[in-house]
Amino acid sequence: MKSKNKEFSIKFWITRKVIENPLKSILFPLAFTSIFGLGMTFIVVDDDMLAMLPNNMSSKLSWDAVQDEFGSTESIFIAFGYKDKTIFNKSSFSDLWKLTNELESRPEIKKITSLSNLPKIENVDGFLEVHSLQPSEELDDIQINGIKKYVYNNQSIRARSISKDGNYFNIMVQPNDSIAHNVVRDIVVEIGDSLLSKNYEIHYGGTAYITGSVPGMIKNDISKLLGVGLVLMSLILLVNIRDLFAVGMIFSVIIQSLIVMAGLMGWVVYLTGSENFYFTIINSSMPIILLTIANSDGVHVVTKFFKEMRHNGNIKKSIAKSIDTLFVPIFLTSVTTIAAFLTLYFAPINQLMGYGICLSAGILYAFILSLTFLPAAMSLKRWDLNSKAISQNGYLENIISKFGKLVISKPKSILVVGMIIMFIGTAGLSLLKVDVNIANFFKEDTDFRKSIDFIDQEMTGTMDVRIRVEAPIKDPNTLNEMQEMQTLLNSNPKVTTSYSIVDVVKQMHRILIDDNPEFEIVPKDEKKVSNLLMMYSISGDQDDLNTIVDYNYKVGLITALSRVMSTEEIIQFVKKIEDQVYDFKHISNASITGMAIVIRDLIYLVIESSVISIFSSVILICLITSIFFKNFSWGFLSIVPLVTAVLINFGFMGIAGIHLSHVTALLSSVIIGVGVDFSIHYIYQYRRLIKDKVRNGISNKVINEVGYPIVLDAASNMSFGALLFSTFIPVQYVGGLMVFAMFSTAFGTLTLLAASVELLKTSYSK
Amino acid sequence: MIKLFIICSIQFFLLINNLSAQTGYELAKKLDNKDKPQNMTSRISMTLTNAKNKSRKNVMISKTASQSQKQMIWVLEPKSDRGMSFLKIEREDRKTEMRIWLPAFNKIRRINANRRSNSFMGSDLSYEDMMSRSLDDNTYLRLEDDQIGGEECYVLEVIPKKSINTSYSKHITWVSKENFQIVQEASYDKKSKLKKIKNFHYAFVNNYEIISKIHVKDLQKKHKTDIYFDQVKVDAKMDEKIFQEKSLKRLPLH
Repeated sequence: MKSKNKEFSIKFWITRKVIENPLKSILFPLAFTSIFGLGMTFIVVDDDMLAMLPNNMSSKLSWDAVQDEFGSTESIFIAFGYKDKTIFNKSSFSDLWKLTNELESRPEIKKITSLSNLPKIENVDGFLEVHSLQPSEELDDIQINGIKKYVYNNQSIRARSISKDGNYFNIMVQPNDSIAHNVVRDIVVEIGDSLLSKNYEIHYGGTAYITGSVPGMIKNDISKLLGVGLVLMSLILLVNIRDLFAVGMIFSVIIQSLIVMAGLMGWVVYLTGSENFYFTIINSSMPIILLTIANSDGVHVVTKFFKEMRHNGNIKKSIAKSIDTLFVPIFLTSVTTIAAFLTLYFAPINQLMGYGICLSAGILYAFILSLTFLPAAMSLKRWDLNSKAISQNGYLENIISKFGKLVISKPKSILVVGMIIMFIGTAGLSLLKVDVNIANFFKEDTDFRKSIDFIDQEMTGTMDVRIRVEAPIKDPNTLNEMQEMQTLLNSNPKVTTSYSIVDVVKQMHRILIDDNPEFEIVPKDEKKVSNLLMMYSISGDQDDLNTIVDYNYKVGLITALSRVMSTEEIIQFVKKIEDQVYDFKHISNASITGMAIVIRDLIYLVIESSVISIFSSVILICLITSIFFKNFSWGFLSIVPLVTAVLINFGFMGIAGIHLSHVTALLSSVIIGVGVDFSIHYIYQYRRLIKDKVRNGISNKVINEVGYPIVLDAASNMSFGALLFSTFIPVQYVGGLMVFAMFSTAFGTLTLLAASVELLKTSYSK
Repeated sequence: MIKLFIICSIQFFLLINNLSAQTGYELAKKLDNKDKPQNMTSRISMTLTNAKNKSRKNVMISKTASQSQKQMIWVLEPKSDRGMSFLKIEREDRKTEMRIWLPAFNKIRRINANRRSNSFMGSDLSYEDMMSRSLDDNTYLRLEDDQIGGEECYVLEVIPKKSINTSYSKHITWVSKENFQIVQEASYDKKSKLKKIKNFHYAFVNNYEIISKIHVKDLQKKHKTDIYFDQVKVDAKMDEKIFQEKSLKRLPLH
């Protein structure tokens, strides 16, 4: 009873303030929004996919250790050459020399690997020589043939430096650890294009190139299409609400909520420096989610206001009635959605913590604005009671009225059809596959995809596996086990090359023993290995070994480069590597990392995050609504539409072959956020009519009352179908699935929930 | 007395004027003409430290003759390479011949040490840094005097002539006014970016000021090398016949 009084007192206080001081109710939120908006200047954009992994995950720990000891393992590849002509000619070598030198002079770049600066180890007239493969910018034919012969005799160098057909050079650019990939990507493309674009076909690729390019491209693409979506949304709202001012005010609520959400993100970074609040590729879904939720609040208030104006013609009374009717359901939908998003605090992906908190803040602010700013703004306008917006029902309103009658007349049939659809969806879940490889985000006919596919197919490949070995590296037993691992890696047809200190030792051994190929083996004596490495340090450049062995020969790195693998291939391949690591007898400590492993771990994280998020949200929503309505069955019914929608959506994705990725996974959040809104509005209205002693045609009345805003909300959110025109495949899916999600949540509420409540009405009416 | 004072003052002024008027070339020539021991034996401890502050240490015995044109080095540490040795002979034609003894393989191999920019044993000293510079290979410009660690120094800009095979564009050399020894040298790469800074410390051995410590820092690689020379003997009785292949296999007792 106490809480009821409290609820009433807050509601009446808000109503009084809005009606008595509308200007204050508008200016105060605007000032608050502006202060929070300043925080947007502190937003930090982070394109590092690795930042998503929890710090205590083994592949992340291993990744960090590898980066620390051997520098960045994410590279940009530049391939240049001719389609039908060999690259072994004077001018190409001259250009390769210029490109290598130009890139080497940039402080943002740590290391360049190309034929121009690779060492050549050979036995010349009894001399052991380690020198540059390309001795100068200008070469004669004899020198070029010498390089060609050397490259073709060294499979590892060949695979890393030229294309399969020998028509393209491959240059590997290793960015400096502290420099963002997008910065290095821009530098590499600028230098590459300026030196090569006139005479050669150029392709760029590699993980650093993709991760440096994609987040910016996705952000631009989404921003553009979001704009289109917003225009479409405003048109749909305008056609149905038929008042520009009202639509403008709904947008004002949406935009202010977005500003507060983004501003909070910036302020937290500014005040705490927390990386969990950086703006990553995952966060690009936040605006869409908040838009749909804030839109829902605004639409309910505006449609209710017009409905009341139609009945009583009095602005103040209409506003009071709207707030009175909607305060509790909007409060409850906001609380449940906030609770659902706050569960992301426990998700294994780091950025989801900041994601959940900031999105919750945006939702809370949308709730406050919908019940203060929005009605206050509506109260300031002099409304024409004869306008179409007030005097006549909207198109959708009339359709919903007819639809309500149909549902109520055949509740059992509706329920059975709904259940069948849900079961089909559930069956489709088993077909759902996960893919987080961003190289697959592009359509095959785009230039970007063609370029990275070229590097992937014709050069070394885009993916890498790194095995960090902690053992006495000079010990032949260690080297032999490393060699066995390389044999396993090379046995995978997708692996183009693998390399480690073992290759250097074997090559030195062969050259020392009169260049006899029989001695291209690991020596059996540790002292021999040590002598070979000492000899290398005397005759060659120690820096050549920096990417394969640590300074004290205690840690080695095996690298395998491979073409893009499917999710299943990655999982199977990593399993084989793990088994081999487990079988090591002399290497006491080995860990696996690399982009292939990161992708595998991200797959598990995406699944884990989605499952945790969906289950915890649904349970929380059920609990909150059960407590609020003091009845578990109402709590259970409130999750029916959203559970159905989640099952149908993910099932549909499985059947349609749409992969679950860290981008498409956002659909579950949208469905939960919007789905719970719809069901709570429905249930609250139903219970309200019961309290008002309405007994006849109660379901029909509820559908008439809340069906229209629900459908209008869903229809306007469907405008994000504009994302279907994105360049990125997962964003396209998001566009299509948004339409599907809106349809399934609205449909679930107005059919399954309505039919269930109708069938159970006798017990609820008591 | 006044006359004497005036004469002394004039002489002092002339002396100062004469010193400060020395050209860069004259200073370099004076450096080149300094007495150097004919042969030297020392124990060398070389500590290499990379950008991540990881270190490794080599201990060697070195014998030089003919003013460092002939050199033999035997490795004492690390243990796995104990007994490895090198023989380096700089020929008249400026070609360098280098042989290495690999005890684990029981083999002697020749190494090409003519790539002057190559690092010596992974240190920040290149073969070029270790070779004696010929006076006429460079041009010298005297810069404004400076202080290094409180020590008054002449400053020379040393620019290699175009005909010279070098990996440097120039060196700035600080020469102590007190003992006329090089105390610091900054070397610039071909793109005129500062590459290395070397600091030298000296100790007296048999009336010679001999280098006791060299600290080299490669600013581009963020790598440093500290070399200590101890148990130094100069102009001791040394048979130059030891500078041949067969000596490589025998680790000297001292």
